[in-house]
Amino acid sequence: MIELIGVSKRFGDSLAVNNISLKVASGEFCCLVGTSGCGKSTTLRMINRLIEHSDGEIHIDQQPIRSFREEVLRRRIGYAIQSTGLFPHWTVARNIGLVPRLLKWSQAAVDARVEELMALLRLDMAEFAGKYPHQLSGGQAQRVGVARALAADPDILLMDEPFGALDPITRENLQLELRDLQARLGKTIVFVTHDMDEALRLADHLVVMHEGQVVQQGHPLELLREPANEFVTSLLGGEDRGLKEAALLPVSERMVPLGVGGVARDRIVQTASLRDALSMMLWRRVERLAVVDDEDIPIGELSFRRLVGARGHE
Amino acid sequence: MDSQRSDDGKGYLVLVALMGAALVAWWWLPSVSVAPNRIVPGTGFSAGQVAGWPMALLASLPLLLTGWVALRAGQQRLSWLLGLVMLCLVGWPLWLLLATVQLVDPQLPQARVAIGAGMWLTLFLLLLALIELSTRMKLAAWRSWLLFLLPVAVLAACIPVGLDRLALWQEYQGRSDDFITAIGVHLLLVAATVVLSLMIGVGIALFVRRVPAMQRTVFSILNFLQTIPSLALFGLLLGPLAWLASHYAWLESLGVSGIGWAPALLALVAYSLLPMVRNTLVALEGVDEGVIEAARGMGMSRRQILQQVRLPLALPVLIEGIRITTVQAIGLTAVAALIGAGGLGRFIFQGLGQAATDLVLLGALPILIMALVADALLAGMARKLQPGLSPGAGT
Repeated sequence: MIELIGVSKRFGDSLAVNNISLKVASGEFCCLVGTSGCGKSTTLRMINRLIEHSDGEIHIDQQPIRSFREEVLRRRIGYAIQSTGLFPHWTVARNIGLVPRLLKWSQAAVDARVEELMALLRLDMAEFAGKYPHQLSGGQAQRVGVARALAADPDILLMDEPFGALDPITRENLQLELRDLQARLGKTIVFVTHDMDEALRLADHLVVMHEGQVVQQGHPLELLREPANEFVTSLLGGEDRGLKEAALLPVSERMVPLGVGGVARDRIVQTASLRDALSMMLWRRVERLAVVDDEDIPIGELSFRRLVGARGHE
Repeated sequence: MDSQRSDDGKGYLVLVALMGAALVAWWWLPSVSVAPNRIVPGTGFSAGQVAGWPMALLASLPLLLTGWVALRAGQQRLSWLLGLVMLCLVGWPLWLLLATVQLVDPQLPQARVAIGAGMWLTLFLLLLALIELSTRMKLAAWRSWLLFLLPVAVLAACIPVGLDRLALWQEYQGRSDDFITAIGVHLLLVAATVVLSLMIGVGIALFVRRVPAMQRTVFSILNFLQTIPSLALFGLLLGPLAWLASHYAWLESLGVSGIGWAPALLALVAYSLLPMVRNTLVALEGVDEGVIEAARGMGMSRRQILQQVRLPLALPVLIEGIRITTVQAIGLTAVAALIGAGGLGRFIFQGLGQAATDLVLLGALPILIMALVADALLAGMARKLQPGLSPGAGT
């Protein structure tokens, strides 16, 4: 668990972060969102003491971060950044094994861990282990960056716009993989981004920052339904909010049990989002969809009226 | 299509020009000069006067042929051109041998042949052509070295069969032991200078990085040192070192005195510090900050970052600094001979004093070769050490 209590950061006369308080529970995916210069990156870097906070307290698992030596603290926390920061003179395998080596693991243990992580991030060992960073594509380099951050199996992962420089398709793939990875590994992740779609796709806990302060925080749906002010509303996309909310809700939330009227021709999986369902209705020009489970067996149906959330009987 | 063809048909102008200039030098400048002994100034002989003009024409045929092939075939026949240039280079010492046999009177034991401006210039232009071709053909470094060695080997082979009358060789013969010692001393001084200034220079660079406020002061001192003329610096060190040696017996027993190797080494190190510190600093600061940031974020200590990340990544630029310093030190060490430090500079100054050009060359040529070899070796090393083993690749 990470806890920031009344934390500020001054650079000379200017206040980069102004009295923010924040609690990230264990296993939570927390996204810090805001325009550039809002202090989100500074906040992140104060957690692993790359920047020292000026006021307030930061605790990790109830212990103040200043009770650890800087290096010891950082080796416990995974860290991934936009430019990947991979060492250009080291091979992929050596890059990934960095923190375990710093922690003086045996060579055999480091090798085993590198192999495990490369499998986890779907990097083919034979193909990539001996390559140098400049031989990788942007997406591959970023996978290596994430693998390196996970190497010593830290409980906490700090990520500073890690997918910022990638093309949209690679980016979306990596977002889905990261989400999946987090669900499996149960890491606590603090993720900085300026891209609201990315934040909505990933976060359990969304923190909107503006001019060094937290403007609003909570579950993404809460923010979508009740934005605190104009700034949050505009950041969330104004009129687009309906679609963004629909993207967060699964079909199973609005479906009704199978009726007597027979199964509709067009089918959608129950785990798909309402946004996907709406898109399918628009595309196929239908008002009813059959909802199926993973094995393609119909388990319910979704009408346009139910989809938009209208109450009462049809 | 037409423009394509005319492009293909274009001659290899660089080589054509080099060969043209070589031919002009060959025919119009004195080929060799012959003197009956060391004191008397030599008489110049043009190529035609060496063994008659038909022979000179025959000897210049390879040059002519190289130029003609370069003009007609352009860059299509690079290996032919390389072969022809090598033929010229191998022929060069043979011509010298011919001139010696023709012009030196065997009855005069002191008679000698000196290489004339025409031959020097031809050699220079041929070497340029060789460099041009081996770069164009992307020859591996060791292959081009072998190519350079071939004419040297032919020259060496010609010495016992008559080329011992070469003035340069005669000067060497007179002081062969001295020559070997001088090369040893020269190399030792250069090596000591580079090692010391590297250690001190890296130390200063690291200090300046820690304490940026000192940067200006440090650089103005180093700049000042650089502006003192080398002779003046040697002179300035004379007094203090003589005083030190007379007051501390252990220094004297080490051989420290107002003249000799001690002031030379001190001055050489002082001159080497500026390029060394500046390049080290540029090298260390040129490392991508994102990488350093990541290294800190991973929990590497300052020392680990310096040793495992910053230094290895800075190494190619650092070696560039060593290269500049080394080449500079090789040249400056020649001047150190004036204060009795020894080295190849001795022959240069002796030769100047006696108006013996070939003695000057005996000192100057090895210095030139040393500088070229050091330059090539260190430049090659810097290339080899590029991060990720690939030259110029970004991340």
